[in-house]
Amino acid sequence: MSQQPTQQAFNPYTENGGTILAIAGADFSVIAGDTRQSEGYSIQTRYAPKVFRLTDKATLAVNGFAADGNMFVKKVRQRLEWYRHAHAKDMPIRAIARLIQTMLYARRFFPYYVYNILGGIEEDGTGAVYSFDPVGSYEREACRAAGAAQSLVQPFLDNQIYFKNQTPAPGTSFPRHLPLTTVLPLVIDSFTSATERHIEVGDGLEIYVVLAKNSTSLQSLLNMRGVQELTATNDGERVFVIRKDLKRD
Amino acid sequence: MSIMDHNGGSVIAMVGKECVAIASDLRLGNQALGISSNFQRIFPVTDRIYYGLPGLATDVTTLRDRIRFRVNMYTIKEEREIAPETFAHLVSSTLYERRFGPYFIEPVMAGLTKTPTGGYKPFIAATDLIGCLNFAKDFVVAGTASTKLYGVAEGLWEPDLEPEDLFETISQTLMNAVDRDAFSGWGCVVHVITKDKVITRTLKGRMD
Repeated sequence: MSQQPTQQAFNPYTENGGTILAIAGADFSVIAGDTRQSEGYSIQTRYAPKVFRLTDKATLAVNGFAADGNMFVKKVRQRLEWYRHAHAKDMPIRAIARLIQTMLYARRFFPYYVYNILGGIEEDGTGAVYSFDPVGSYEREACRAAGAAQSLVQPFLDNQIYFKNQTPAPGTSFPRHLPLTTVLPLVIDSFTSATERHIEVGDGLEIYVVLAKNSTSLQSLLNMRGVQELTATNDGERVFVIRKDLKRD
Repeated sequence: MSIMDHNGGSVIAMVGKECVAIASDLRLGNQALGISSNFQRIFPVTDRIYYGLPGLATDVTTLRDRIRFRVNMYTIKEEREIAPETFAHLVSSTLYERRFGPYFIEPVMAGLTKTPTGGYKPFIAATDLIGCLNFAKDFVVAGTASTKLYGVAEGLWEPDLEPEDLFETISQTLMNAVDRDAFSGWGCVVHVITKDKVITRTLKGRMD
């Protein structure tokens, strides 16, 4: 046997599949993610949450490398706890967004390999969605999809949320924000479509709904089957989660 | 970057109620540089069969000529028009002939089949670049925007659409998909094939 040098390499990153999605309404925000976690063609688990309640007015979805994602959420929560101890209130969502930017950019040369979408209620009571790239570049938007099936879902949302390539009837205009009763079916349709055509999406769906104080959407949400409330404070904002099954094949 | 993505472009076909539709964008590019906004890649075979050739533009021309030759030979020998299913197999074998030096094209076909009772049944099919056939019952997609097309079509398509509704569905699917694809777009063309006519419309799209 001839002696040759062999190259050894350690790759600190993995891609764990899955997809996340968030849509902002006038007085609510919807943040959803599937629960499948995979590595290559293998499913590691059918239930690994990607969406996390941070406060009663902010929910964070993380997608990409699951280990980094979980660690990142842990660190964000720690910073939010310190903020609560220092200021005796929850950090506003726009401040959380800026915090996430600085936390991500701090790791500019060894990044958290995750796409973040932050959803919740702004201090003025409007629904908000902030989306980030892995190194902290961010933007406030009305809707955003990220992850394995981003390319399948985002153009569908462009069409159904932003009414792209559609013309309103003469004398009318498209709404800037859709009601919760329209948004929830769109979220479910997006995930069933992605599940149908993408192998890394499926198993389960978790839809977080954050309602502003005195939101008009409360009644229609409570009428839905299997809604669970996660609200922790009496500030007025309320957080709910809806769990659904997706195809497991 | 893959040869398949060199010139860009996408095609989609959908089934409706006693009708089919096939649509494509009009961009021809050289990598990221746009060359033409009027590059036709959908061609008629008979009055009731159309097919699209997304992929390498030089092979679009070559393959169209080869397929036209073979369809003409078939029509002369058989003394009848080619059926959509037969045409799909003709396309498939034309591609598989070049199994180890393929044309960089993924054809999409749409047509109406005559039934023994005198009616018309919608037919769509697509193949990969070496001719592996996919007879889908709902829709088929190909080209640089294929992942986007799958996502939107899966959300918008429903069974038994009438010709005008099918036109709207396929147009919205294509336009919104190509707007998220840098290599497709620059206008679209849509053909809706019904039993007594073909409706062809050119759509104005985003030019960025």
